[in-house]
Amino acid sequence: MSIVLDARGIGMSFRNGDELTEVLKGVDVTLQSGELAALLGASGSGKSTLLSIIGLLLRPTTGSITIAGQRVDALSETDRARFRNQRLGFIFQFHHLLPDFTATENVAFPAAAPAGRMTSAMRQRARDLLDRVGLADRMDFPATRLSGGQKQRVAIARALMNNPALILADEPTGSLDRLAADKVLDLMKEVNRDDKATFLICTHDESIAARCARRIMVKDGRAEQVRTQQQLELRG
Amino acid sequence: MMFALTVARRYLLSNPAQTALLIAGVALGVTAFVFITALIEGLAIRLTADVTANSSHVSLEQEVRVARVLPGPAVNVQSVALVSTFQRRQIRAWGPTVALLRSQPLVSAISPQISGNAFLVKGEAVAPLAVTAIEPSALDAISPITTKLIGGDADLGADGLLIGAQLADNLGLSPGQPVLFRTDRGVDRLLTVRGIFRTGLLNLDERVAFLSIRTARPLFRLPEGMTNIEVKLHDPGQARAFAAFLRDATGLRVTSWQERNTTLEGALFAQAQTGTLIQIFSLISVLIGIASALSLSANRRRGEIGIMGAFGVSRRFIAAVFVLQGLLIGMVGAGIGCLTGFALCSWLATLTKADGSMILPIAASQGRYLTVFALTTLGAVLASVIPARSAARLDPLEAIQQ
Ligand SMILES: Nc1ncnc2c1ncn2[C@@H]1O[C@H](COP(=O)(O)OP(=O)(O)O)[C@@H](O)[C@H]1O
Ligand SMILES: [Mg+2]
Repeated sequence: MSIVLDARGIGMSFRNGDELTEVLKGVDVTLQSGELAALLGASGSGKSTLLSIIGLLLRPTTGSITIAGQRVDALSETDRARFRNQRLGFIFQFHHLLPDFTATENVAFPAAAPAGRMTSAMRQRARDLLDRVGLADRMDFPATRLSGGQKQRVAIARALMNNPALILADEPTGSLDRLAADKVLDLMKEVNRDDKATFLICTHDESIAARCARRIMVKDGRAEQVRTQQQLELRG
Repeated sequence: MMFALTVARRYLLSNPAQTALLIAGVALGVTAFVFITALIEGLAIRLTADVTANSSHVSLEQEVRVARVLPGPAVNVQSVALVSTFQRRQIRAWGPTVALLRSQPLVSAISPQISGNAFLVKGEAVAPLAVTAIEPSALDAISPITTKLIGGDADLGADGLLIGAQLADNLGLSPGQPVLFRTDRGVDRLLTVRGIFRTGLLNLDERVAFLSIRTARPLFRLPEGMTNIEVKLHDPGQARAFAAFLRDATGLRVTSWQERNTTLEGALFAQAQTGTLIQIFSLISVLIGIASALSLSANRRRGEIGIMGAFGVSRRFIAAVFVLQGLLIGMVGAGIGCLTGFALCSWLATLTKADGSMILPIAASQGRYLTVFALTTLGAVLASVIPARSAARLDPLEAIQQ
């Protein structure tokens, strides 16, 4: 097992006028390849902030980040964008599918845009991924004609398109009902198990977190491991 | 770039009604541009044609000869003056000049003339005349007279005279009648009114008379020379340059029709300026339309643009999507605008008044279609740069969180 994510001493302060809010006060997170981890914490504890920093969408005040063996915290804006495109996958609370494109085109988009064209190989991979997330019969549907759960599954397929080293999900089930939420998590666990894809899932939903093998709690600006019942028992 | 074009097209087709409206706005502006350009060009062509059809394009006459008194130690500077030598102004060697003119392919007609002043005397009544003496064969060379005759004929013969309708009225003259002709050289002769013309211009119909050069020579005491040579060109637009050439070649005073009609020139210039202003405004309104429509679109698609950014789609790609939308709108709108502009102008050109003349002197072929197409397309691209930049600069995280 290799280390996919090694974030060390992540600190983040926001300035609101004269007031400086320290949201993260030196967070360390390490993920092994093939792990599926939940990032837990109360609303406003800094989960999204941490996830955005790891996802290279936000620059931390302090700390270093290594993803798939590459130091990424000092990369230029262009290089960060390229790294996101090639090595990271994102799933957000709101799917943000492109409404003028079909499910297949949405999934293939992260590959097509940098290449400058959508090849038939990209389409084929997008179709395979849609098949994988159970949308074989919706491949050519416009994104707008899918249900909320279906859209989120398209978003998962899209996150997988470029075969990322790490998939970051921010409240992926936050806008879904219980049933759809469970299905989306099932899907992520399945992909994690079958493809050895590494997931970091941010959630404030305990029942979702309870089903993740590893749980990290963000609290008072720091992250700590939450030992699951299973792990505690193993340690005896 | 190909894929950015696909995305741009998809964005435009996503709201067909809105895109159609935007394109219609661009097309309307371009149509206005084409219309105003064709109208102003048409007006200029008509005014120029009106002026050049009935007058010579280049006139040659003898320079006024002046003797200069040079200042020197013995001469007070105050007394330096231009002094006419009081010689008769005539072109003595007009033969070689006419030969030179004949050899020029630009020239369409040449009329050597004797111009002078005279009076027509009938009983107590005396009427001043501006006399033009010409070769009878060249009567219509500069301005068609034969077609304007309302009485008699154009056969000048040895003692014939053509006068205007107003003058004939004033003196109670009709074709075939003799009348006393007195020149400013003090020579009297009885001439016969052969024909009466009506140009519709009062000062011509009241003042102008034509006779043959042979008749005029003794009357104006000019046994061999000509006072002026009038020239028509195939293309009146060449008159200025051709006049300059003739000036050098002959040493005569050469005047182009433009120099004789500076007020027309000024009017045409002012008109062209007005046209340019309208053209600029119609283009600017087109560009503002495109810029604001694309800005709205970029704003509405913040979330999508944010997710593209999160997935590492380059800023250049996002900017290209918007610039290409501007390009497509500009090209399609300008294309449609050129077509409708041409159709509109062609249709307007067919509308005529009762007398067969155009209601609007529009020149449909002068719409500067290529210029407006290029300007609109280029302008559309420039107008889309602002929304393209703001879209490309969106912070993905901010855009997604909203
Ligand atoms: N761009 C920002 N500017 C100022 N404060 C921010 C910004 N982003 C987040 N915060 C603050 O940081 C804290 C953590 O936010 P967030 O990471 O979104 O929490 P969570 O995702 O755990 O609910 C909150 O108090 C929030 O107000
Ligand atoms: Mg959050």
